[in-house]
Amino acid sequence: MAQAQNSPGQKVPAGQVPQKPLGRTGLNVSAMGLGGYHLGSAETDQVADEIVAKAIDHGVNFFDNAWEYHDGLSEERLGKALKGKRAQVVLMTKVCTHGRGKKIAMRMLEESLRRLQTDHLDIWQIHEVVYDNDPDLIFAPDGAAEALLAAKQQGKVRFIGFTGHKDPEIHLKMLSHDFAFDTVQMPLNCCDATFRSFETQVLPEVNRRGMAALGMKSLGGSGELVHCGAITAEQGLSYAMSLPVATTISGVDTMEVLDQNLRVAVNFQPLDGGTMARLRDQCRLAAADGHLELFKMTTKYDGKVGREQHHFPTVEKLPL
Amino acid sequence: MPQTLPGKIPIRNFGRSKVKISALGFGGHHLGEAPDEKTAVEIVHQALDGGITFFDNCWEYRRGKTEIWMGAGLKGRRDRAFLMTKTCPHGRDAALALTMLEESLRRLQTDHLDLWQIHGMAFDNDPDLFIRPNGAAEALDKAKKDGKVRFVGFTGHHNAKVHLGMLKTGFPFDSVQMPLNAFDGTFRSFEQQVLPELNRRGIAALGMKPLNGHGEAIKNGVITAEEALRYAMSLPVATTITGMDSLEVLHQNLQIAQNFKPYSDAEMQGLRDRCQQDAADGRYELYKLSLKFDNPEARLAHGFPLDTEQSEVQDMLGSQQNTGHPFPEKKL
Repeated sequence: MAQAQNSPGQKVPAGQVPQKPLGRTGLNVSAMGLGGYHLGSAETDQVADEIVAKAIDHGVNFFDNAWEYHDGLSEERLGKALKGKRAQVVLMTKVCTHGRGKKIAMRMLEESLRRLQTDHLDIWQIHEVVYDNDPDLIFAPDGAAEALLAAKQQGKVRFIGFTGHKDPEIHLKMLSHDFAFDTVQMPLNCCDATFRSFETQVLPEVNRRGMAALGMKSLGGSGELVHCGAITAEQGLSYAMSLPVATTISGVDTMEVLDQNLRVAVNFQPLDGGTMARLRDQCRLAAADGHLELFKMTTKYDGKVGREQHHFPTVEKLPL
Repeated sequence: MPQTLPGKIPIRNFGRSKVKISALGFGGHHLGEAPDEKTAVEIVHQALDGGITFFDNCWEYRRGKTEIWMGAGLKGRRDRAFLMTKTCPHGRDAALALTMLEESLRRLQTDHLDLWQIHGMAFDNDPDLFIRPNGAAEALDKAKKDGKVRFVGFTGHHNAKVHLGMLKTGFPFDSVQMPLNAFDGTFRSFEQQVLPELNRRGIAALGMKPLNGHGEAIKNGVITAEEALRYAMSLPVATTITGMDSLEVLHQNLQIAQNFKPYSDAEMQGLRDRCQQDAADGRYELYKLSLKFDNPEARLAHGFPLDTEQSEVQDMLGSQQNTGHPFPEKKL
C-alpha cells in the first residue's frame, strides 16, 4: 500500500466505491458500508450529516445501524441524514431482543422505522448473537426468528439476517437451523484469518448457501490491529474488502476517518492471493492469543442490553 | 459454630502415585482476603487439624502475600502438608519461571514443593509457548531434576481446548487443574472434555471453582454451597480446591468434607439438570468468557488490557513502598 494514502489531507480520488451483489437478493451494495455505531460517537449531528452525505457522493450505498446503538441516537442521526436520499441507499438496522420474544422485536422495529424516518428497511438483522444459548432462544416458539418472517410478510423489511462477533460455532449453530437468512454479518480481518476464524469456518458456508456475507471489525473493532503496528489501516480494509463478501462495514466518526476509508474504497481493486497470504502471515503471531480481537476473547464489545438479558455484569463491573 | 473442627476428611491418591492427599484442598488465593496474618495463620492451623493436607498457592496471588501468610501458617508443620504453588511465566522463558520458584520457596519458608504448576493456561497459543525451546516446560523439568519439586502440572480456567492442547504437547504432567462444578457439567465443559482424558492417562485431576469462583449461583439460590461442593468432590478427581478466607468458611467446608458421601449418578444428573438453564450462556462461569479472573501478569504478558477495577491491579497500583523491586516482600 502506498504510504501517501496514509497521509491526512490527501484528497479522495475521483470515482466511486465499486458495487457487488448482495447475495441472491438482486440488490447491489457498495463494497464498503458505513457502520452506524460510530455515527452516534460523532461530535455533533452536523458531523454525522456531513459524513453520510460525503459517503453517498462517493458511491457508498450500504448503511448499517442497530436499535440499541447509543440508545437510539445512531438511528436518529442516520434518519435525519438520509432525508430525501432514502431511495438511493440500502438501509439496514438490527433488532436487539437478546433472547426475548417476537412481540418485543416488532415493537423495536416500529421504533427503528420511526427514528430512521422510513416505512421500510432493506435489511433487518438480529443483533449480537454472541451467547452460546442465543440460537436456541432465537428459534424458540414465538422467538425473534418468527419476528423476522412476520416483518418480511408485512412488507416492513425486504431481507433478513443476523450478526455476532464472538464465536464461529455460534454462527454455525444459527445456520444449522433451516432458515432462509439473506445476510450474515461477522468479523473479518487479517487476524481472524488464523484465530477462531470466521473466514475459514463461516464465510465458505454462507457463500455456499448463497447468503450475502457482511464483514465487520476489519481493523479489530477499535483499530487495535493498526495501533499495535501489525498492519496499516489501508492493508486492513483492503484485506477485508478482498474477501468474498458483499460489503465491509466500517464505522466512521470523523471526516478524517471517512477520507481514509474512501481513499481505499473508491476505485477499489481486490488484492491478489499472494498479498492476502502475506498479510495473514504478517499477523499470525500477533493473532494467536486473541489480544487484538477483544470481541472474541473478552466482554468488551458485548452491549448493555444483551448483558442485562443474559444476567451478565454491567460494562462498568466487567469491562473485559 | 464450633471453635475448632478437628477430624478427618477422605484421602485420595495423587494420580498414579502412592502419595495421598485430602479430597478437599485449601485454595491459596482467598487466604489473602483474611483480615490479617494472625487470622490467616489460625485458618491454616485449623485446616490442618481438620484433616486438610492439600495446600494450593501461586506466585502471583496478592503480590506474594498469600504465599507469605501460608508459609507462616505452615511453619513447623510443613511435613503435614502436600504443598503446591504455581509459577507465572505466561508464555515467557524458563529462567523467569525458575526465578519465581526461588521466590515462592522463600516466601513459603520451605526448601521444596510437593507440586509446582504452570499457572493460568488461558490463551490459544499458551501450549506452543510452553513447549517451545527455552519455554516453561524446561523449567518444570529442571526443578524436578534438582529435587526442588516432586511433581509438576498446569492450571487454567478458560478453555477445555487449551487444556487438551497442553496435553498434546506430550509433556509428562503429574497433575492438571481445572474448573469443575455443576454448571461446567453442561457448558463448555472441562468435565466432559478434559477430565476423562486425565483419568485415562493416570494424571491427577485437581478441581477448582466448585462454587463458580465467587459463589454467585449460591447467592442467587440456584444451588447450595453443600450441593456445589459435594458435586465437585463426587467427580473422579484427586482433590477439590476451594478458597477459605475466614474460619467460618473453613468450618463450613470441613463440615461438608468430613461427612462427605459421594452423590449417586442420578443425583449428579439431577444437579446438572437443575443448573443447565442458567449454565447455558455462561453467566455463572465468567472465567470462561471474560478476563475477570485473569491476573495482570497474564494480561501484560499477552498484551491484553488491564482493568483498573480489578483488585490485583489496585494492589499493583497502590503498593505503598517503592523498593525498586516490582514485587516488594516482607523480610523473612
